[in-house]
Amino acid sequence: MKVLRSWLEDYVKIKVDNEKLADSLSFSGTLVESVSTILDEKIIVGHIKDIKKHPNADRLQIATVYNGIEDLQVVCGAPNIAIGQKVPLAQIGTILPEIEIRRAEIRGIESFGMLCSEKELGLGEGSSGIKILPEDYIVGKSLKDYFTSDAIFELEITPNRGDCLSHFGVAREISAVYKTELEDEDIKIIEGEKSDLTVEIQAEDLCGQYYALPIKNVKIADSPQWLKNRLISLGQRPINNIVDITNYVMFDLGQPLHAFDNTKIKDQQIIIRRAKINEKIITLDQNERKLTDENLVISDSEKPIALAGIMGGANSEVDQNSVNIVLEAAHFESVNIRKTAKRLGLSTEASYRFERGIDESGIKKAIFKAAKLIKELAGGEIQTLVEAGLQPERPKVKIELEKINSLLGLSLEKKTVDEVLVSLGFEAEHDWCFVPLWRHDIKIWEDLAEEVGRIYGFDKIDSKEINKTLTPPKSSYYAKEFIKDILIENDFTESINYPYLSQEDLETANLDSSDLLEIANPLQKENKYLRSSLIPGLLKNIAKNPSFDQNLFFEIGNAFTKEKEITKLALVSAGKDAKKKIEAAIENILKVAPIKKDLLNVKELSREELTRFKIKKPVVFFAEVLVDEIIKNVSVNNYSLVIPTNEEKYRYVSKFPAATRDLAFVLNAGIDSSLLRKTILAASDKVLLVEVFDEFTSEKFGQGKKSVALHLWFQDLTKTIDDGEIANLTSLIINIIEQEFKAELRS
Amino acid sequence: MNGHLHPISQYLREAIKIFEELGFDVFEGPEVETEWYNFDSLNVSADHPARDVQDTFWLVDGRLLRTQTSSSQVRYGENHKPPIKAVFPGQIFRNEATDAKHETTFIQLEGLYIDKNVQVGHLFWILQEFFTRLYGPETKIRIRPHHFPYTEPSFEVDVKYRGQWFELLGSGMVHPKVIENMGIDSKEYTGFAFGLGIDRLVMLKYGIEDIRLLRSGDLRFLKQFGS
Repeated sequence: MKVLRSWLEDYVKIKVDNEKLADSLSFSGTLVESVSTILDEKIIVGHIKDIKKHPNADRLQIATVYNGIEDLQVVCGAPNIAIGQKVPLAQIGTILPEIEIRRAEIRGIESFGMLCSEKELGLGEGSSGIKILPEDYIVGKSLKDYFTSDAIFELEITPNRGDCLSHFGVAREISAVYKTELEDEDIKIIEGEKSDLTVEIQAEDLCGQYYALPIKNVKIADSPQWLKNRLISLGQRPINNIVDITNYVMFDLGQPLHAFDNTKIKDQQIIIRRAKINEKIITLDQNERKLTDENLVISDSEKPIALAGIMGGANSEVDQNSVNIVLEAAHFESVNIRKTAKRLGLSTEASYRFERGIDESGIKKAIFKAAKLIKELAGGEIQTLVEAGLQPERPKVKIELEKINSLLGLSLEKKTVDEVLVSLGFEAEHDWCFVPLWRHDIKIWEDLAEEVGRIYGFDKIDSKEINKTLTPPKSSYYAKEFIKDILIENDFTESINYPYLSQEDLETANLDSSDLLEIANPLQKENKYLRSSLIPGLLKNIAKNPSFDQNLFFEIGNAFTKEKEITKLALVSAGKDAKKKIEAAIENILKVAPIKKDLLNVKELSREELTRFKIKKPVVFFAEVLVDEIIKNVSVNNYSLVIPTNEEKYRYVSKFPAATRDLAFVLNAGIDSSLLRKTILAASDKVLLVEVFDEFTSEKFGQGKKSVALHLWFQDLTKTIDDGEIANLTSLIINIIEQEFKAELRS
Repeated sequence: MNGHLHPISQYLREAIKIFEELGFDVFEGPEVETEWYNFDSLNVSADHPARDVQDTFWLVDGRLLRTQTSSSQVRYGENHKPPIKAVFPGQIFRNEATDAKHETTFIQLEGLYIDKNVQVGHLFWILQEFFTRLYGPETKIRIRPHHFPYTEPSFEVDVKYRGQWFELLGSGMVHPKVIENMGIDSKEYTGFAFGLGIDRLVMLKYGIEDIRLLRSGDLRFLKQFGS
């Protein structure tokens, strides 16, 4: 939600700058996501060096404006400019309150910016001419350096804090944090003659209070600029004075308001009732809504005229011809509003606030404030307020001082706790406090502890070391990690795949959906079912890695059927030595986990399956087993988690395929082959991976010598890497290795 | 040795090892959960807007894919007597359209500590201790009040990492209703809980540009880690 600093200052004196204010709000629970100023930084002081007549338009002129770096050609319509003046120049890309400046062609002449009036800058009401700046302003400097600009704070209001969805609510937080006064205006209006309007709440469980205020003879017009500017700053579109005022008061006080055209209310009856089944209403957005008896409507003697708390009806809309209106302010029950808004897919600023709970003690104040503004800005005669329902009692919560102090680890006096609560609008009475009717989130003493903590300052709480306890026996998590270590030692790489299957996956894997768990509401077709086996995912991994001549993957993860969820271990192997590798890995698992060998049978993928999975490798083997079968026989009490180190910097993976080359060197047997890897990786950022695949000593290399064979993967982030470049890189690498390690390339 | 441990498993091991040294148990609960364990038992009622914060995958049979591992906390609490000290690694799910920054599937690590007289200060201590052991003795954290239905008070924790503040962790004092739902007397016991997203930490650590790479099965990616 957006709030304007100047608007907050209507209610509370703020003595700190924007940054400090943002910090204070964030660290008391109202996270400030961003702060922006109305005056864009790109608006600078420009110097008019020349003015020419526009060849195609009498009223336009072409100004040459110096921005401190270069001369810009700017088409201008205002008559008050002259050579030598300093003026506000909005350059291309500037965002003004009402428009964004782009490069434009005006009547055949290109324009590279705009000279601005006071109004266009959002600095005032003046719109008749360009704002002429004082002589001593420095050309090229941002206008922000000369004018204090209003600031927009973008806040994250958590769902429990509906009371902060208004300027007044946020101002109350600021007043509590800074211990300054909150200026709560007492709004009085003079009610006039009684009208014929009646209000009846039939659905008492869904509407606690309802106020209707008829106003006669209003004059519909545009809102004044100050009001428009405030709404525009919040991202709202001004419509007309009546509608704008209802919106304004909502952003001001948090109470959603609505205005009806009184002449469209049949028999002067307002009834708050459940809709009839299949009853219809066309809402202000011109959509027809079909209702059920779970939806609340505002109705006249004949038909619904508004969807309560969400949106007005088109049949009672205030338009240019309206003269007599009725203002509505009410409390509608949150759960019901939420259900209706969700079912109709219609979320509005009003429903958002009702869902989170409004101030049930501030409804009358809001309707009076709106009426007062209407009287001022649109004229009219205020009639008598029609009321139905009652303001509820404030709930009471016991202030458990000792428990609050114990939970927070503080020793606050009762007085301090009371002061915090009072600053937030609570009323403290001995051991109890009355919760204000705008705080629907306060129910238990722990809630009070949070209020005290966040206003007093959590940063004042010291940390306390927790009790040392014995480490419990190692759970199955450790056993699984132990099994992973064995597989990694056997050259298998861990994959974590999505647990979903699409319809296409079912066809590829030839799976029947009858036993699969199905997702009811997936946004993407990939998320239709849950996997019952890890194998299809791992086979897709193989299909994805054609540039690797050996693919060895494993995964430990959950698989699902309608009956149960089980953790499985699966292995796949493809390419070079596929069979030997998977059999060796399984043998090593069986060494630590003596289970029946047939529980971990290796199977081969058929030719037809290879085709369906689009695997190019000739043979693929796989095995899958319940993890419990393995780990129930594994003892891990002496196992310690192995944490590998990644010394090299992560390299982006190219969209384009990698190419591989193999190199083998003869060198001193004492040189660690990982040093070779690192040196090659450091040679070029186009080397993606280096892997040692063979290392042995032999008489034929001579005394104390060994052979190290390496796979190298090359890539280019911008294109498919070509053979010429690979050849260059390879000879560069050979050179480096031969020199640094006194090595010799094996042919 | 040319096998590679997934960077997520690697990171989890680093984090879990720290908690192991502090005496925490490790527990993994089911990924398919009931509405009770995932929402109601955690004080997230069906009618509250707090539920909208999480886009849930609902199953045809009425169950769901858990949106947080807190469901495992409740299960663990039901079967253990205080003092309770445990961490909960596991996969969680969000019904979202995916791109380089949005995912449907994440790994989370949550922690729970329930005992007599557990205070806010204890939570602050463990958060500082954890990030100090993970990122080094100079590591700074800051704590902001926030809202989660399952904790009261609730906090978000920012950590200064390589010179920049990142919001990395959610935490708070376990809501008495949640403690009661574990079958534990909330008048006698208090506790704290916290949760952190491992995927995000892994991406930050390495500068990984696209979250989907983590579950891509692309060897060009996987072979860069954990050998």
